[in-house]
Amino acid sequence: MNRLTLMTIVLMTSMFLAAITSPAHAAGGDYRRGLEKSQVCQSCHGRTGNESLQPSYPRLAGQHEDYLVHALKSYRNGSRQNAVMAGFAGNLSDRDIADLAAWYSRQEGLQDLDVE
Amino acid sequence: MITLVPLGLSAQGDPERGEVLAYTCSGCHGIPFYKNIYPTYSVPKLGGQNQEYLIAALKAYREGTRQHATMQAQAATLSDQDILDVTAYFVSIGENGS
Repeated sequence: MNRLTLMTIVLMTSMFLAAITSPAHAAGGDYRRGLEKSQVCQSCHGRTGNESLQPSYPRLAGQHEDYLVHALKSYRNGSRQNAVMAGFAGNLSDRDIADLAAWYSRQEGLQDLDVE
Repeated sequence: MITLVPLGLSAQGDPERGEVLAYTCSGCHGIPFYKNIYPTYSVPKLGGQNQEYLIAALKAYREGTRQHATMQAQAATLSDQDILDVTAYFVSIGENGS
């Protein structure tokens, strides 16, 4: 292994470690940006995700961040089908999705089932 | 105030019977931060979710229009009454306060 290869490996390893341990990564999206981007979402789900326009629309407040990301990406790629959500999610970037999920997951709302 | 019934299409159901049915659900949805295996993401919180949404979700799994192997298998065992009752239980968790 020559010196250049070794340096490259060291550099890439340190970059990888920095990426997985940095607060920015741990926090996922930016919830403040998420609030700004959520204007369209708010018309049906409300500002905090607790005020559903229709009872058939889910509450989003307090939902797991990574589940919200999964749901939006599923709407975007069509693996989850809903005419309304397909239209909105289709316009979102990965960054948008991360930010929106960060906002709604940080609101007070949904709860886990109690296991007694 | 469990007797408070929302206006419009209000689904009902028996939350006490639903709690018994929900025993199986708790195996994944009752464990905080329990992860779906692939793709990996936290299984959603259901406590306090809107009942009409939950009913639609379970029926979509049962009919196969919403796809998830485990959820399709679970929903296939549920009657319409089961779905009403189990979702009534999920809603009741939100009504009981934090």
